[in-house]
Amino acid sequence: MSELKNILNHGPEPSEEALKRYLEGNASAEERFMIENQMSDEDFMNDAVEGLQHFKSPLVMQDYVNKINKDLVKHTSKRKNNKLRSHIEDQNWTLISIIIILLLCILGYFVIHLSLNSKPNNHTIEQKK
Amino acid sequence: MHSSYGFLQILHLSINAYFNSVQKENYTNISDQELLENFKRDQDNLWLGILLQRYTLLLLGVCMKYLKDEELAKDAVQQVFLKAITELQKYSVEYPKSWLYTIARNHCFMQLRDKTQLISISDKLNLRDDSILDFTAFDKEQSLTLLENSIKELNTAQKTCVTLFYLQKKSYSEIMDSTGFSLLQVKSYIQNGKRNLKLLVAQKMSQS
Repeated sequence: MSELKNILNHGPEPSEEALKRYLEGNASAEERFMIENQMSDEDFMNDAVEGLQHFKSPLVMQDYVNKINKDLVKHTSKRKNNKLRSHIEDQNWTLISIIIILLLCILGYFVIHLSLNSKPNNHTIEQKK
Repeated sequence: MHSSYGFLQILHLSINAYFNSVQKENYTNISDQELLENFKRDQDNLWLGILLQRYTLLLLGVCMKYLKDEELAKDAVQQVFLKAITELQKYSVEYPKSWLYTIARNHCFMQLRDKTQLISISDKLNLRDDSILDFTAFDKEQSLTLLENSIKELNTAQKTCVTLFYLQKKSYSEIMDSTGFSLLQVKSYIQNGKRNLKLLVAQKMSQS
């Protein structure tokens, strides 16, 4: 009776390692059932297993997987580095703007300060006259 | 001042990147959906890399099935990944697994110029023959009894294959050996048998 549940349940997804063992013919009875159960449930798994069985050897297959993953990692990291660089560049412009504003403020302060200091001098000259 | 600020900034971002990478090493228990949410939040392609790597082997198998050439299959998976990275940045996908499968199949059909086989890309494509049964109104014992009785109503080939596969847990090859059916027949009888069983049980449930 408990086996009847197998018909209703989708069962757990097999690991990649279990799938490789299945392709090599070394999977345990439990792993084999898990994979074949998924194959009967999912077209994705069925197509994948049927295709993987066409590889010359599991080593060749693994080699292809490694190559694809290596390229993928390179691609996704590259995009991230570009983002990081552009992020830094964006922040640099913010920094430059802040510095320019600060310099303008300082310059403004000195201009005002100098003009204020020069006014009393003119006044005293006029008084002396 | 400018250069020292830039150095501190790079140092800060590098420390952040280091902690992010440490966090990402613990991704095995993260679901596909969570990885996509993390990508949306961080806008970091590394999350997509982690997600796509989960399906490299399966997609390679799918492309190999249709293209029948190892090198072409490898190139096809790389193309699918590039497309996926671009599309996932623009659109939200609810079920990445089925979405990737559809993209890979369509890519292969395009390569084979068999455009009639193209299927519409919907991330909600059902990979599984999802249960049409609602057992909530029934207790487990009752539903299993219904199922047991329904097996008897299947045709002989389906009944034999379903019984050998699900109840006796025989492998496809063992079923082929004991019945004389081809692999294609065994798979078809199991798949159709399961579907018919669900229909039969659903029918009985609605009657009672």
